[in-house]
Amino acid sequence: MDESYNNLPSSHLLGSVPAVVSEEKHATSYEAPEATMQTFPPEGFEQQPANNWKGFFSISSYTQYFNVDTDIVINRLISSLHPLSGDFFSKIDANPDLYGLIWISTTLVFMLASFGNCATYLMQKYTNSSASWSFDVSFVNVAACTVYGYAIVVPLAYYFLLQYMGSSASLVRFWCLWGYSLFIFVVTSFLLLIPIELLRWIIILLAGTTSSCFVAFNLKSYMEGNDLTVLVVASFCLQMALAIFIKVWFFP
Amino acid sequence: MSNPHSDTIPLHASSQSDIDEIENLINASPATVLPARPPSPPRPATIPVSSAPFIQSNIPPPPPTSSNQKVPSVPVPPPLPSSTISGGSRPNIASTGFGSPPNTLTEPVWDTVKRDLSRIVSNLKLVVFPNPYREDPGKALRDWDLWGPFFFIVFLGLTLSWSASVKKSEVFAVAFALLAAGAVILTLNVLLLGGHIIFFQSLSLLGYCLFPLDIGALICMLKDNVLVKVIVVCVTLAWSSWAAYPFMSSAVNPRRKALALYPVFLMYVSVGFLIIAID
Repeated sequence: MDESYNNLPSSHLLGSVPAVVSEEKHATSYEAPEATMQTFPPEGFEQQPANNWKGFFSISSYTQYFNVDTDIVINRLISSLHPLSGDFFSKIDANPDLYGLIWISTTLVFMLASFGNCATYLMQKYTNSSASWSFDVSFVNVAACTVYGYAIVVPLAYYFLLQYMGSSASLVRFWCLWGYSLFIFVVTSFLLLIPIELLRWIIILLAGTTSSCFVAFNLKSYMEGNDLTVLVVASFCLQMALAIFIKVWFFP
Repeated sequence: MSNPHSDTIPLHASSQSDIDEIENLINASPATVLPARPPSPPRPATIPVSSAPFIQSNIPPPPPTSSNQKVPSVPVPPPLPSSTISGGSRPNIASTGFGSPPNTLTEPVWDTVKRDLSRIVSNLKLVVFPNPYREDPGKALRDWDLWGPFFFIVFLGLTLSWSASVKKSEVFAVAFALLAAGAVILTLNVLLLGGHIIFFQSLSLLGYCLFPLDIGALICMLKDNVLVKVIVVCVTLAWSSWAAYPFMSSAVNPRRKALALYPVFLMYVSVGFLIIAID
């Protein structure tokens, strides 16, 4: 378009565009002959931005993390119960979701608060204690702080640690992994209602081991090649610590 | 036109949505305009807002011209046209519409309260009780408001707090925070899953669906037997979930229906559990 304007012999006319401008246009058009317009970004540029981020306060920038259907979520939940497969990251690689993190942790908070209270009630009835039982609302607070804090802070810490050590990490995938790893605790809090102390310890140790293995093996396969076993072992220990804390505080 | 012949006709023209208002005004025939009715409560006659010059200066067509002709011949300024068009036993509240806002400021408090209460009742009937408009979420709460949900949440918190024997204020705080934050989060969840709902309409609907749980909490407060409580809570929980189901499920892609409904169910179950456990 600009070339045609440049070609018009109009600089001698009154009120025409001064020749300086046309020379400038001529010069710039030589530098990028394949671009007809000086647009930004240039039109030949095919690479899309990494995500459709429209800012923190726009919901549409977060919908990409919730792009899952019911069957996909169920598939991921079931695979979180297989601790030794180590392929969770390859499953979620194309489409990590935060739906699992948010709703599994919320369900876990509710389960711990309600079944913890039920368990203390059953224990009191079982041991025929004379103290009257009342619903302890502080269980909700402690459960919320523990579960949400753990599920949000630990992947964040791992992300920053790995960035610091130089290898790349994806925060959303870490959040997804840790979120789904909490699913087994939801199941076990049903089972922890049984008022027999030995059985409770066996159940929680089994569940803790499963969950910790799930996290550790998947983390190991994610960081293949890097000599960061310390981090893998640390993740195992943290998950076990969470399991033991759940048993000790909510189902004493 | 919404609800022309159902039993959920709102009592006041102002409690219909604005769209229905405009339709009413456009479709109304001048022949049904009543002559000026005396205002029932004594209105301060010095306030000129409802008087003739105000009507005549209304250039847009909706206030029908018939009332303009009536104005000079009537000693008392007639109420604004829309309230006379729909006929019926309508109090002379200035309905919303063109040129009416000053009248809602000068109307008696009881009229305002009555209008809001009737809107709450009509919304409740639409949402919680079976009626032919439930399947269409667009019609379900066209005239949403947030007063109803507010009352229901506070009432539930108060009932739970009253029934608790220890830590009463903490129980109220937990219940209120759970319900209020829960409604917001549930709406955000649907939006994030790619669904199409209006934010405040959804908040309003989730608040209205608490009404059965309110009744359940009241019954549980009065009767202290554990078995009765469990049965009552289960029944009211099912009723609440049934009330919320069509709205939520039609808002998202059918393959994600369970993902959108599960959190609603979770919230109502947790509230139900709170009702049972508090004693």
